[in-house]
Amino acid sequence: MIAGNGPEGRWIRADLRARRGQALLTVLTVAGIVTALITAATLLEDGTNPWRGLFERSRGAHIWLHTKTVPDVSALKDLDGVTDVAGPYRSAPATLVDPPIGAAIDQGRRVPISLREAPAALPAVARPLLREGRWLDVRRPEGVVVERSFARALGLRPGSPFTVTGLNGATHTLTVAGLAESGDQGFYPEWTPGLAWTLGQTLRTVEPALGRTETVTGLRLADPGLTDLIVQRAVSTLRGQVQRVTTWREIRAAMELDNRLLGTLLGLFGVVGLIAAALALANVTGGRILTQLRDIATLKSLGFTRGQISRMLLVEHGALGLAGIVLGVVAARLITAYALGEAVAAPLSPEPHIAITVGTAVVVLVAIWLPAWRGGRTPPLPATPAAPPHGRLSRLARLALLVRLPPALVLGARDAFTRRMLALLTICGVAIPMMMITIGLGCWATLDDFIRHPERVGQAAALAVRPGNLTAEETRDWAMADPDVVVAYPGAELDALVPGQTRTVRTRALGTSADPYPFPVVEGRMFRERGEAVAGQGLLDLLGARIGDRVRITIGGTPLIVQIVGRVIEPEQDGEVLSLGIDSLAAKDAVPPRFYSLVLRPGADPAEVRARLQARGLEVAQAVNPADRLAIIRVIIVALVVVLALIGLANLLTASALGRRDHVLDLAVLKAMGLTPRQVMATLVTGTGLLAVAGVLLGTCAGALWSRGLIDMEGRYSGVGVGIGRAPTPGMLAAAILIAIGAALLVALIPARRVSRARVTMVAH
Amino acid sequence: MTATPVVRAVNLVKIYQSGRGLPVPAVRGVDLTVEPGEFVAIMGPSGSGKSTLIHLLGGLDTRTSGEIWLDGQRADTLSESGWAVLRREKVGFVFQFFNLVANMTVADNVELPALLAGASPRHARERREYLLGALGLTDRAAAAPAQLSGGEQQRVALARALANQPRLLLADEPTGNLDSRNTRDVLRLLGEVHRQGQTIVLVTHDARVAGLADRVVCLLDGQIVDDGAIVKRRRRPGGTAGDVVELHGR
Repeated sequence: MIAGNGPEGRWIRADLRARRGQALLTVLTVAGIVTALITAATLLEDGTNPWRGLFERSRGAHIWLHTKTVPDVSALKDLDGVTDVAGPYRSAPATLVDPPIGAAIDQGRRVPISLREAPAALPAVARPLLREGRWLDVRRPEGVVVERSFARALGLRPGSPFTVTGLNGATHTLTVAGLAESGDQGFYPEWTPGLAWTLGQTLRTVEPALGRTETVTGLRLADPGLTDLIVQRAVSTLRGQVQRVTTWREIRAAMELDNRLLGTLLGLFGVVGLIAAALALANVTGGRILTQLRDIATLKSLGFTRGQISRMLLVEHGALGLAGIVLGVVAARLITAYALGEAVAAPLSPEPHIAITVGTAVVVLVAIWLPAWRGGRTPPLPATPAAPPHGRLSRLARLALLVRLPPALVLGARDAFTRRMLALLTICGVAIPMMMITIGLGCWATLDDFIRHPERVGQAAALAVRPGNLTAEETRDWAMADPDVVVAYPGAELDALVPGQTRTVRTRALGTSADPYPFPVVEGRMFRERGEAVAGQGLLDLLGARIGDRVRITIGGTPLIVQIVGRVIEPEQDGEVLSLGIDSLAAKDAVPPRFYSLVLRPGADPAEVRARLQARGLEVAQAVNPADRLAIIRVIIVALVVVLALIGLANLLTASALGRRDHVLDLAVLKAMGLTPRQVMATLVTGTGLLAVAGVLLGTCAGALWSRGLIDMEGRYSGVGVGIGRAPTPGMLAAAILIAIGAALLVALIPARRVSRARVTMVAH
Repeated sequence: MTATPVVRAVNLVKIYQSGRGLPVPAVRGVDLTVEPGEFVAIMGPSGSGKSTLIHLLGGLDTRTSGEIWLDGQRADTLSESGWAVLRREKVGFVFQFFNLVANMTVADNVELPALLAGASPRHARERREYLLGALGLTDRAAAAPAQLSGGEQQRVALARALANQPRLLLADEPTGNLDSRNTRDVLRLLGEVHRQGQTIVLVTHDARVAGLADRVVCLLDGQIVDDGAIVKRRRRPGGTAGDVVELHGR
């Protein structure tokens, strides 16, 4: 170990003191990467698994027991593993008479809801998270607090009227006091009925009959892993009282999004960030050690061994990297807790947290190990000059000379490549972040494409209407009556059993074989006849099937043999969806159609059409564009682009510092020969700038070439399928190149300006 | 003399490979023995191999063949780390360009070898205070090397070389980069430590510097051409062979 006050400790401290700025930059680079990775992972986790955050914040109950009567709470509390009990609360079914949005009340929609009793003081366990408005108040018993996703679906806001009809038919006019989130049940409409909290007295007014209410009791557990066991015990303790049990697993499953695409994208970015970090560190460490070769040689002449030098360098630079990791972890914690406090409910779970931290630590150590090892192998002859090995003109410089470029450019071109290895490292140090930035822009372009052309991701229809209490024909006619609706495809979504699988897959019948819905077929062809179908990549992978294969599925007990004739882009259900014409289904499943998918006139606003149709009493769902679900990726892209840009610039700073060091002597000679400070500056800027330009162009080309393929690969593995990738637009690329080169030249210019202005005297070593 | 010689080189050869792969002999079969307390000056024209020789003796460079014995210990077979450990304890180096560690203060530079040899920080500090005091640098202890004049830097380098009371002090053109006043100061200090019994091997091409030594070894084309003691204060009018070589070299 290196003692703090030993010779190595002394040297490390002295070196860090001598280059505080650079050391700080290293720490900040690593910290930035760690912060970006953790923040991104947290956002991702929170975005795809909102349950965790809600549950943490609301101190949710793991188990909800629905009983006919009030259970024995103390017996439940005494169960081994139960830490707290929520409730018991009375709960009553009711119907919300929904006043259609913005329109005259001619046909109110009736939505089943579940009213749940809640105390006026927010409970400690399973506490609803108030987001808007006020909580329940005994002075205003007519107030209800509505679960937020439900309120959103119905367009309810604090102050909206909330008219409920109890089972006895009596109508009560209540008011929405506030909106709250909760981890007690899933989001509407995936989880029905919608939830509203009222005071006990209000509940009794709506549903006076005790027999028609039930009691819900939440159990918070010490160990969620014991849920099943404790459910059994609770059921046996309550001896037949329990009617129904929901556990956190079902709620979580209901809230989770299909996150394979997000996960793989984030993984890609994480790897990219780490590679960039490794490069930056290797470059900074390598550059620093190069400038110190003379001191290292002196140390060796004093009796430092090779191992001591390597260890010293490793400890010094490793400590900076590790400090960066610690700082990054702390910064990410603070950012997710305060800056993103609204968006993020819970810190990252331990596994990805540890993976990121340990991964970065390993990358840091590997990145500095090589330069440290090489530093240790420095010969102990302090006289060895750390000057560039070759002084001859590079081919590029000769070319520059041939076409009679100004001398400053020729000299700069010569300087750029005198240290081949370093030139290569610098180019890579710029090219790799630039490539990653380009790939990030490709992801951005892909998302834009999703939004601009939803039909390419299978969302030609922006809306889907369900008949509700109308007949299918009526629904269709009503929908088609809207001026913005162009086509209405009859559809049905069913679960099908596939051979060799214990679970079901989604079967989507939409349009008819003669008039199919415009599925985005990217391979094979669209179905044309009964018995033909198209599938997403996920389903093909699941079944191990290829286009042209016949598969046998079972829908509601009826076997169905279809031939897969094409592959479609399938953003839903991880691509595990089989799509066919509704006429391919057995009549019992196909007639009447469960819903109609509405293709709108180009330019029509789906929200407006939806409002109009809802006003006429139709149940309308709006398709969620995958880009909206992937919106978090954009935040990650921006954050990573910033970090990558910083890394690229840090690499350039190292390169230009080394260039300066290498040419201090030359500069004196150049000035003596009569070069003006401006020409000297131009020489230095050309030296670094050439490498930067080469790196930027190389990186952009590689990124542009690969981004499409990489995103398609992501698509392939996430089940969506190949065919979604878009290269960044030429405008985007041009802007990125110009900004990058501009920033690079600026970075090269600042130190060059200082050096060229300074009086350079001949130094004898 | 029965005492073990501080340095004994036997048929020492160093051949460099030139850029084109041609062998370039720098030291060609040097036999040299330095007794304890001796002050040997190695002279010779540029390119005669004097610096290479002193680097070989200090283990900064590896010999091609031959033997090096330091303080009775075979040293040429040591690994790089072995040499490093040996240098800590037995060899002090002074270079033409001072070679102070740029990042460290004067005090740290001088304490470093003592710490390296395993001394306690307190002992290292005492030793540094004594050395800087003796060399008249006490008030510069907290300064950075770049803030010192050349003469001061070389005195710090000398203090650093003497920090561990090495058996052997190797000096490679210690005054080569100094003006005459500083040269005088440094030589006076070298003379003083020599009088206290320090064994010194010094490379120079300055006859006045060599005049301080007990013995002058002249090198030409990597071979010893003259090796003789100097009779102090009464130098023969004709001068030594070293002077002749010196004339040739100029």
